[in-house]
Parts: sequence; C-alpha cells; structure tokens
Amino acid sequence: MNHPFIRNRNIIIYTTIWLVISAGFAWALYYWYEFEPRLAILDSAVFNGIFFGLGLSYWFNVRYSSFDKSQLLNLVISHVAALLISIALAVFLSQTILSRIPSNEEYTQFLNLSLPWRAGLGLMYYSIIILVYYLILYYDDLNKKTQERSQLETMLKSSELEMLKSQINPHFIFNSLNSIASLTIISPEKAREMVIKLSDFLRYSLGKENDQMNTVNDELNNIILYLDIEKVRFGDRLAVETQVDKNCLGLKLPNLILQPIFENAIKHGIYESLEQVTIKLNAWQDQNILRIEVTNQFDPEAVSKKGKGIGLKNVSERLRLIYGVSQLVFTEKTDNLFTVRLDIPQIETNV
Amino acid sequence: MIRTIIIDDESLARDLIKAYLQKFDDIEVVQECADGFQGLKAIQEHKPDLIFLDVQMPKISGFEMLELLEEPPVIIFSTAFDQYAIKAFEQNATDYLLKPYAEQRFDEAVEKAKAKASSKSGSKNEVEKLQETRADSDESLDRIVVKTGNKIQILPLESISHFEAQDDYVAIHSDQGKYLKLMRMKHLESRLPDGEFVRIHRSHIVNVKQIEKLELYEKDSYLLSLKTGIQLPVSRSGHGKLKEVLKY
Repeated sequence: MNHPFIRNRNIIIYTTIWLVISAGFAWALYYWYEFEPRLAILDSAVFNGIFFGLGLSYWFNVRYSSFDKSQLLNLVISHVAALLISIALAVFLSQTILSRIPSNEEYTQFLNLSLPWRAGLGLMYYSIIILVYYLILYYDDLNKKTQERSQLETMLKSSELEMLKSQINPHFIFNSLNSIASLTIISPEKAREMVIKLSDFLRYSLGKENDQMNTVNDELNNIILYLDIEKVRFGDRLAVETQVDKNCLGLKLPNLILQPIFENAIKHGIYESLEQVTIKLNAWQDQNILRIEVTNQFDPEAVSKKGKGIGLKNVSERLRLIYGVSQLVFTEKTDNLFTVRLDIPQIETNV
Repeated sequence: MIRTIIIDDESLARDLIKAYLQKFDDIEVVQECADGFQGLKAIQEHKPDLIFLDVQMPKISGFEMLELLEEPPVIIFSTAFDQYAIKAFEQNATDYLLKPYAEQRFDEAVEKAKAKASSKSGSKNEVEKLQETRADSDESLDRIVVKTGNKIQILPLESISHFEAQDDYVAIHSDQGKYLKLMRMKHLESRLPDGEFVRIHRSHIVNVKQIEKLELYEKDSYLLSLKTGIQLPVSRSGHGKLKEVLKY
C-alpha cells in the first residue's frame, strides 16, 4: 500500500513538521521548566521520536478499517485500542529511556509528574494524525472518482461517435435512393411517399443530440418509418408486428438505441432469405423497467456471414455507460428465431 | 440479340434496370433472379451474353456466384457496395454501377458491355482478375462456396481441415467431403483470416484448430498430423510460420 506520508517525498514534509514540533517542545521545557538545553532536547527527541514512528503506523489502522469497509463499532474499537496501545507504549518507552539519563532530582520528579499530560499530548497527536489520514483518504477517493468520471465521459463520446457511424447504414440510404429512382418510373406517387418517409427518418435521426433521452412513442415512430422504407425495398419479404403497451409510450429511452437492433434483424433476417421474414416488436413496463423485445426469424440453413457483433456490443456498451449497469441486453437464439431484449431502467441517468 | 439476366434481390432495383434497358432494341432480358443460387441456375440454363449483378444477396453473394461460373458472361455490377470494392472493380475490365446511378451512366456501361459481348474476349480471365483484386482487399473469407454437379455447397471455414493444391485447382478437405475449386493457393492464402490458417507447404494450407501434432521427421523436416488422421509435410518456411502462429 502506497503510504501517503512516504509517497512523493512527503516524508520530508512529515519529518519537517515533527522537527518543528520537537523544537517547540524542547523550547517549552527549557523556557518554562528551566531544564538545561541538553535535557530538554533529549526529552523532546525521545518522546516525539516515538510518535514520529507511531504516526506512520497509524495509516494502516485508517487504511484497513476505512468507513465503508467495517462497522462503526469495529472502527471505534480499533481506534481506541490503537490509541491506548500507542500512548502506553510511548509513555512507557520514553519513561524507561529518559530515566536512565544521568540528571538531577528535579528532572526525575518532572518525569513522574509529566505522565498525565504526556498521555494527553499523545491523544492529541493521535487525533490529528488520524484526521489528516482520513482527509487524505477522502481526497484520494474524490480524485479517483473525478478521474473515473472523465474517463467515462471520453468513452461515452467515442462510443457515441462509433454509434453515429454505425447508426445509419450507408447501404440502406443508397439502396433506398435507388428504389426511389426506380419508383419514379413505375409509380411516381409511391416515390413521393418514400422520399417523404426517408426525409422524416433522416430528420429525426440526424437532428437529435446524441445524449438525448426520447419517449418510446417518438423512438417507435422513427423505427416504424425505417421499417416502412425497408418494406418498400423488400416488398413482401418483410412483415412487421408490433405490440406496445399504451402505458409505456411516455417512458424514456436513449436516442436511437433501437436502430442498430432493427438493422441487425433486417441484416440477418431479410438479407439472408427470400422467404417472408417477420420482425416482432414488443414493449411493456415492468415496475420501473421498460422492456423492449425484438424478435426476427432467420433462415437456419443460411450459412450466415459472420457479423462482427459490433451493433449489439455498441448498444450494450452505451446502456452500460448511461445507466451504470452492465447487463441490460439479453439475447436468445432458437432454431429460427433470434430475440434481443433491452431493459431500460426508468431512473436518473449519467447523461 | 444480346441476351441478359438481371440478378438482384430487390425487385425495384430489377425494375429500374429493365426500364433503362427498354430503349435498347438489341437487348433481351431472358430472366430475373433474386439470389445467387437462382442466378447460377439461370446462367447455366440460358447461357446469357450479359448479366447485371448485385453483390449483397441472400444465400450466396454475387462474388461467390461468379467464382462458380465456368464460362462467365460479360458482367455489369449494380451495387451500393463500399468504397474499396469500387477500387477493385476499377482495376479490371468489368464495369460497375454504383446505386443509385444516372441513366446516362447506365447507358455507357451497356455500350461497353455490348462491345465486349460481341468480341467475346476471355471473360474467364476477368473473373480471375476479380479474384485477384479481391485477394488484395482486406476483406477476409468466412466461408467458401463450391459446386459439385448441380449442387452448390457452402462450406464454413470451421468445417475445413486443410487445402491442397492440385494443378489449377485447390482441393478443399472439409467434414462434408472433398471438393475441387478453380483457384490459386496464393490468392486463397491471402484471403484466409490471419492466425486461423497456415500455409505449411507449397501445396498445403491447414486449419490451425485441426492440428493434432507436429513431429520431427528427418533432420530439418517436419511432419504434421491433423485430427482427421492425415499427415502432411511441412516445409522449412512453413515451419517458421507455424512457429509464429502457434507461439512455441
């Protein structure tokens, strides 16, 4: 363990403070008790020297019984014990050593009389040192938290960037535009309809702040737009069923968090099959959790090209950063069904 | 008359090509297909002069379908595929159309294709070139499509224990059997994912997961045993590569 008084040359400061205290102590003995300087300095050096050493060891008591790690009673007991032991030790040691110094009657008498105030001084030393240790511990903790927080923010930013990149697949846009080009010849009305849908979709998707929370209603409308556009591209191959509890329409979820999930469903469901593929969407509220489940059929015989799994991983990572909970995305794969469920807590978030 | 087949999984995309083709009196669309399987069948049946081909399609992709053709017709790609792929196409004679495309650009491609279809210059060469340029791209393979008779088989890489060079062909030993495919070891090697396959010899590439043991055979020459029981010689440079991948 990295001792706060030893790291970064703090030992110099610690030593200096003790030298100042010892000098003051010696001066007091010399000035008020009128002992000769030799005795005053020796007494001060022995008594304060002992606390110099003990002070360093108090750290372990603080470090290994910090507030969150043990019960309050244990904490009090350990401090009282440490205090009593250190005072007894200091007084006993200093008495033993100092009584061997050849001196006068007056000093020997003083030694005996000084017991109570030496004990009092020990209590003061102990309290101050412990207080300093707790302050350092608190400050370190605070620093660490700020650091973690800023790290989280950078991660959030970069994952947002990644998300932005993967959010709207360029293939989707270009293929949709190609479908529109085709529709202008066959059915201009449908082309117009699709241009409007694509515009609405892009306006919603590009116009939002990344850390924004939106209502289920808004997000689902956008997903429906996306699926409508894909339906024009794929025709009968894509069928969509939605079942959304009315009372969860007002709940909040992160901006565009569903987009990669539906893109996956399209990619693994529709891209790999010529049969009709149904994508099901269920959303409901479970106490203070919004649950959203997306199921797509897939062709079990298709030797699918391995996806890189980036889409789902990004979703999971984003939710983890926002809610501070690591497991909010659940997947299940059966013979021909793939299900993803998101659990969105309805609480205050990090963003 | 130039006979053509349109292969694209989106019907609107096919419709657009048909609409653009209407003004060409000398081009006849003999069939439309929605995936690589259908495309392959149609090509064998009709032997068209020209095909319009999308890349991203269900079952097998446009690229994979091309690899199975013995005498490919003139090809015009019609795709929204990524940038690097475009570069690949640019380097060889096959034309490409990037969705969505202008009618003018489409007409140019068709004129080029018509000129080529009439001269019938070796398209086989082109497919090989295409494979070569794909080998240069950073996209790695995750499956191999083979054809035996009229049956098309998709082999996931995990199912393949090793590849063996046989003249112009590569023999693919998979747990579903042995298949021959026209390709070069060099291109194959460069497209296999790093660390999963090792070329241990001029004529052998093995799946690292299938290695059972490696024994010293004579001085400086090693013999590799696969889990399937087959033993293969390891060349000196192959041994170096094995060492690197297996980290021993």
